[in-house]
Amino acid sequence: MENLALSVKNLNKYFHEPQTFHVLKDISFDIKKGEFLALTGKSGSGKSTLLYILSTMDTTYEGSLTINGLTLTGKAQNELAAFRNEHIGFVFQFHYLLPEFSALDNVMLPALKLEKKSSEEIEESAMGNLKLLGLEDQALKPANKLSGGQQQRVAIARALINEPTIIMGDEPTGNLDSKNTQIVFDIFRELAKERGQTIIAVTHDDDFAANCDRTLELMDGKLIHQ
Amino acid sequence: MIVNKTNYKIANAHLTSRLKQTLVAILSVTFGISMYIFMNSFMTGVNDTQTGLAFSTLAHIRIYNDIPQDNTNLFADHIDENILVNIRNPKVIQYTEGIKNSEKILNLLDSVPEISGITPQLNINVFFRNGATKVNGMLSGIDVVNEDQLFGTAQYVVEGDWMDLNRRSDGILLGSGLAKKLSLHLNDNVVLTTEDGITKNYKVIGIVETTLASVDNSRAYIRIGFARQLISKNMGYVTDIQVNVKDYDRAVSIAQRIGKITPYKVEPWQEANGQLEAANKLRNIIAVAVSLTILIVAGFGIYNIMNMTVNEKIREIAILKAMGFDGKDIIQIFLTQSVIIGILGGVVGIILGYLVSVLVNHIPFKIASLETLPITYRTKDYIMAFVFGLITTFIAGYLPAKKASQVDPVEIIRG
Repeated sequence: MENLALSVKNLNKYFHEPQTFHVLKDISFDIKKGEFLALTGKSGSGKSTLLYILSTMDTTYEGSLTINGLTLTGKAQNELAAFRNEHIGFVFQFHYLLPEFSALDNVMLPALKLEKKSSEEIEESAMGNLKLLGLEDQALKPANKLSGGQQQRVAIARALINEPTIIMGDEPTGNLDSKNTQIVFDIFRELAKERGQTIIAVTHDDDFAANCDRTLELMDGKLIHQ
Repeated sequence: MIVNKTNYKIANAHLTSRLKQTLVAILSVTFGISMYIFMNSFMTGVNDTQTGLAFSTLAHIRIYNDIPQDNTNLFADHIDENILVNIRNPKVIQYTEGIKNSEKILNLLDSVPEISGITPQLNINVFFRNGATKVNGMLSGIDVVNEDQLFGTAQYVVEGDWMDLNRRSDGILLGSGLAKKLSLHLNDNVVLTTEDGITKNYKVIGIVETTLASVDNSRAYIRIGFARQLISKNMGYVTDIQVNVKDYDRAVSIAQRIGKITPYKVEPWQEANGQLEAANKLRNIIAVAVSLTILIVAGFGIYNIMNMTVNEKIREIAILKAMGFDGKDIIQIFLTQSVIIGILGGVVGIILGYLVSVLVNHIPFKIASLETLPITYRTKDYIMAFVFGLITTFIAGYLPAKKASQVDPVEIIRG
């Protein structure tokens, strides 16, 4: 059990608008710590829906979700927010940085919210993360002055700041060219290998998926490969 | 509310990234608050002027011997209603007029701490005569020093000297209108006839002009002692005791207290001059209604701008929530913005409100005793304006903030 990062049992999810639709059908799986995992499937297969349930942001499902041995099903929104803050890092297709803040401030934000370290310590580790992603010279630029690839890397640095157990990506390379895709992929691989962080990424990119440790494939709401 | 540093930083970034919108929001609060201050200062100024004018002849509390009640059926209390009673032409044979032993009451009033001034008066209806001209009027026997202290009558003396009343036993001061009707000038003689037919000759030693026509056209002053002599009353006889209190708004409650310890009628100014109080209250209501309306309009302005901000920043809100900021954090972020707008707008509004008041206070307005438009500067108005401004911005900011806190991040991020 201690080795499990995430576990899902008998997950079912329905959409009720415009008409009731069974999106996810009885899905169960476990993910070990340090695994680099791709979630694939055609569009409409339910993979993003699944990811948002795993992320704890979507709470309207049946079944149970356990992360780090803690059952999160049925917890209050504010508790889940605090949990996400500490244990989950997010990278989305679009970077969603705060445009008024510098790259460094953006990276520091989740840690400032967590309030476990002093702001000096946070600044230091944020600088470290930016360095890891090759962005140390862009640290003080406002986020909206960076290029697309740089912004996505800042978003990854932000996802890492609280050293979360799980990093979730929704098409994290969807908006990037092949060179930047490779950079992001290498970073994820390194994080999984060296820091033992679990990575779950929804992707359309077959090459990306092929190079992961493991692939979960969804089709019409059913898990057809794990 | 203790604002988290990080939330404050985000709020600040939002405010400074849209300086123009922020400025418009601040200006709307500034306008609302300055108008609130100006309206209330102006209305209070008008009220104060009005009451000031009124109190130049009217005391806050008047104590007098009320004429006996309805005595048309003297048996009313003694015979039950089944018995038919026929009384024709009833007459009251004797009742006490005026206040006989005023010393006692004056001493009593002296011990009431809220009272700022007392003066006894002996008011009698008389005929003024000069040759063939005969005018009905009111003769006030007054205590020269105290009368002036209460009503400042000396400053309205346009000819002669108020203090001369103390020096000459046959001296009389006439209202300017009265003097004109009688064709009298300073140092002329006037004949007085009382209700009881006593006639006496007086010398005009001064003319009084209060700008209140009712007073100027009918009133004359002599020293109270000589008035007693005129109608053959003993020392201590008065018809009225006029009392001023420190805070005239409290006249009613003070009058009630005094009323319990004297057998005479104790009448606060509000009772005798309902229209004065009604006018004051109505003006206050208008001031509050207008200024609150302006503040509410300012509130709508802020509501609008904050709503736009929330819509503009909806993706940021979603990502903040994804990163672990909870609903309370989001409310804080947006509420902080409107509170900052409220405080900045409030401070500038207070300054502007003061400046507008000073400006209006310099606009010439030469009617009655006024020189310029009246303004009363009260700290209370400034504090109230600031508090109301903050409440308005708080409510106007809370609704969009609440909406922001309910954003579903999944919906926004998935698009």
